[in-house]
Amino acid sequence: MEGIIAIWQRDLIKFFRDRARLFGSFTMPILFLLIFGGGLSGTMETMMTQNIDVGEDFNYVQFVFPGIVSMTLLMTSVFSAMSVIEDKDFGYMKEILVSPISRVSIAVGKMAGAATVSTIQGIMLFALIPLLGLSYDFMSLIQVIPFMFLLGAALSGIGLLFASVINSTQGFQLIVNIIVLPMVFLSGALFPISGMPGWLDVVVKLNPVTYGVDVMKKIMIDIDQLSMTVRETMGLNLTVFGRQVTVFEEILFILVFTVIVVAIATFSFKRANA
Amino acid sequence: MNSVIQVTDLVKTYKNVNAVKGINFDVKEGEIFGFLGPNGAGKSTTINMICTMLPPTSGSVVINGYDVHKQKDEVRGSIGIIFQENTLDEKLTANENLRLHCRFYNVPKEKRHSRIQEVLQIVDLIDVQNKRVEEFSGGMKRRLEIARGLLHYPKVLFLDEPTVGLDPNTRAHLWKYILKLKEQEGITMFLTTHYLDEAEVSDRIAIMDQGEIIAIDSPTVLKDELGGDLIELSTEDNDQAIEEIQEKVTGADVTVSGDTIHLKVESSDAFISNFIKTLDIPITKLNIRKPTLNDVFLAFTGRNIQTSEE
Repeated sequence: MEGIIAIWQRDLIKFFRDRARLFGSFTMPILFLLIFGGGLSGTMETMMTQNIDVGEDFNYVQFVFPGIVSMTLLMTSVFSAMSVIEDKDFGYMKEILVSPISRVSIAVGKMAGAATVSTIQGIMLFALIPLLGLSYDFMSLIQVIPFMFLLGAALSGIGLLFASVINSTQGFQLIVNIIVLPMVFLSGALFPISGMPGWLDVVVKLNPVTYGVDVMKKIMIDIDQLSMTVRETMGLNLTVFGRQVTVFEEILFILVFTVIVVAIATFSFKRANA
Repeated sequence: MNSVIQVTDLVKTYKNVNAVKGINFDVKEGEIFGFLGPNGAGKSTTINMICTMLPPTSGSVVINGYDVHKQKDEVRGSIGIIFQENTLDEKLTANENLRLHCRFYNVPKEKRHSRIQEVLQIVDLIDVQNKRVEEFSGGMKRRLEIARGLLHYPKVLFLDEPTVGLDPNTRAHLWKYILKLKEQEGITMFLTTHYLDEAEVSDRIAIMDQGEIIAIDSPTVLKDELGGDLIELSTEDNDQAIEEIQEKVTGADVTVSGDTIHLKVESSDAFISNFIKTLDIPITKLNIRKPTLNDVFLAFTGRNIQTSEE
């Protein structure tokens, strides 16, 4: 336990000490919010509602905000695994690896660090809610926080897996960008992913971000008050094998996914002889 | 004295290369054990196996009663390692680096503060403990690493090239701290270095070459084994001087390197006064010295390279 705390604490201290990273990590989601929430919202609303008669107000910004929070979680948590490569480069990984802390603590500590940092960023985005003219139920915002932490942990695991096989930070950034952008676009974060061609639909259903985004939206947007058509338009009727999935199943999927990546990451730290 | 490290028939084979060919040695409690060898001798491979970082092909290493392969965590808790390269987190302060180390090694919470102050005292860094490590000089960083290596009271401290890349002044300073440690704490040290003059502080030295231990003893014994004294001289005409020496002088091995003639004799006291009288050519430079570890090292590894070429 002490080992997990040590690794978690170190990543947190370093995050708050690195002003450039702190600043940079907020600019990206704000930029996306400006572009999608402000600039493109009209176009997106027309596109999404062109074949259906919505009848009532459909607010794209309300749809995209949880998506952008999830996107921020994804970016931050995956990229924070880069610290593993930096630790190898700067030698600190040796200090960790020769110490008696268990290898699973290293993986869990790193994931907890990434999850904490990304959750903090997500929460800070909540401050923009009034500025965007949105309103979410306060309780649902509180409820979504533990889930954001879980999602951050799961996604940082993806980063850890890449970090364990890639040895340069440049290579890591390049590869992770190639992976992360499709994960965002094929998750329903920015636009609904219903009606995808078959092969792409498989990718969508395997993408953990899809369920992350879906849970975020279902918790934050009070879906019971929305009509079926609006739900359909927002792509909130996610089905797997023709069956609509529940929030519980989605959380379970992410939980299982997290456990699997922890196991693989632990194995890779066991093999590492830095 | 008890052995704190026992290495038995240790072998490491990479594909077709035998990096370590079944070595045996013991390190006694409280001693400084010097581990020397030319590059590629298998030194790093051996150390990595001893420090649980590399699984051996066969053979065993026992540290503080624990098997390094089967009881990795117990071994890791019993040793402290000062690596050749910097392994501090430079973005953190000295104190933060030490606090993290306490957590990694499960130092009891109530003892952490006093231990950190204690090790900082030993290496004289108590006043700068809240500065970030990136502001430290090379020597200060090394001292901090040594302090960190001591935090969990290891049975054995591994020092891998502890003074590499430091200026002579800082090197001397650092050795002062290391020797102070041995005196005050009686800690066992496993030392590798390329500076043979530094290896003189060792109680015993092992020389490794081509995957085997080719000599192991105290520096004094090793030097005595080499025997006698070394006389180095330059004359106005070296060629003629050598002729004269070969004609008139007995009981000396003569070798030449550059413009210096080396004579190896059993005892310089008995030899030198007669020798100077015998020589007609004026001597321009004369130096008499005891063999150093450098001579020992050259003698051992040199001989070994020759035999392996045959």
